[in-house]
Amino acid sequence: MTTDASSKTLLITGASKGLGKVIAEYYLDKGWSVFGCARSESQIEHDNYQHFQLDITSPEQVATLFKDIRKYTKHLNALINNAGIASMNAFALTPSHTFEKVFATNVHGTFLFCQKALGMLKRANSSCIINMTTVAVPLQLEGEAVYAASKSAVETLTQIIAKEYGVFNIRCNAIGPSPIQTNLIRSVPKDKIDKLIDHQAIKEMATPEDVTNLVDFFLSPASKMITGQIIYLGGISK
Amino acid sequence: MNQSEIQDIIYQAIEMANNVREDDKQIPKGVDTALYTKDGHLDSMGLVGFLIDVEELFLDEDIQIALSDEKAMSQKNSPFKTVQTLTDYIETLL
Repeated sequence: MTTDASSKTLLITGASKGLGKVIAEYYLDKGWSVFGCARSESQIEHDNYQHFQLDITSPEQVATLFKDIRKYTKHLNALINNAGIASMNAFALTPSHTFEKVFATNVHGTFLFCQKALGMLKRANSSCIINMTTVAVPLQLEGEAVYAASKSAVETLTQIIAKEYGVFNIRCNAIGPSPIQTNLIRSVPKDKIDKLIDHQAIKEMATPEDVTNLVDFFLSPASKMITGQIIYLGGISK
Repeated sequence: MNQSEIQDIIYQAIEMANNVREDDKQIPKGVDTALYTKDGHLDSMGLVGFLIDVEELFLDEDIQIALSDEKAMSQKNSPFKTVQTLTDYIETLL
């Protein structure tokens, strides 16, 4: 991979599968240099793609990742905190270790990347962070208390980071996809998905392209006044 | 790395800060330049941005230092008062 000061660079977590892989490939097709990371190996083969395997909840491993990325580029135009884990269980039955695991990945992981990427995002002069949330937050879905609570925390981080990083010309927004056929919802029963879609203004299953469209919108230089915003797909709002 | 080399990096960070500051808000380069004091050139977020730039410039030299940590920010005798105090502080971290 070769980059220079004019290269558009993106770092995305959870890049080995699902939405993360789709977004990484989409921006590679658009000519960006993409750094992806995940716990697992990547199947993306591209000259402008560099993959890193790590645990995003480890401050030491995240620090090493940024040190390694600096060997390729000094700046980042975009950071997408896509890695996340879901948990479906009645609140009363949710084990404590599930809470810790979900919050570690969804909240602590996002925290670490937003913090460690600051210097490289700042160097891009104008850059953007996109965090991933869920419609489980506005819909307050039963059986998803821990997952939704973790994403509520991500939304609050997003809005406060937007305020604090605004002075550095770094924007921070979040996307809350409605149900999409990815690994994350593979085990969710069909009737539950149907019920969820019934809450939407647009009663359809979303596609990965609906998400890349929104990512495009947030990353567009024309969106220079858009920060601290949470957008849910399907017409769901708080 | 000696004090003069550390100061060169701090001055580079001052230049970066000056690039986005108004003409009448430029930060002079000098060891006595007040950074984060009552009458200093940086407010709290300005200091954060400045320290991030200094950290990045050290990373360019393959040196990792953490300036903007809670402990340093809350020290009674702030290491961020002037270019000289910042230089002295960085020297202790290397």
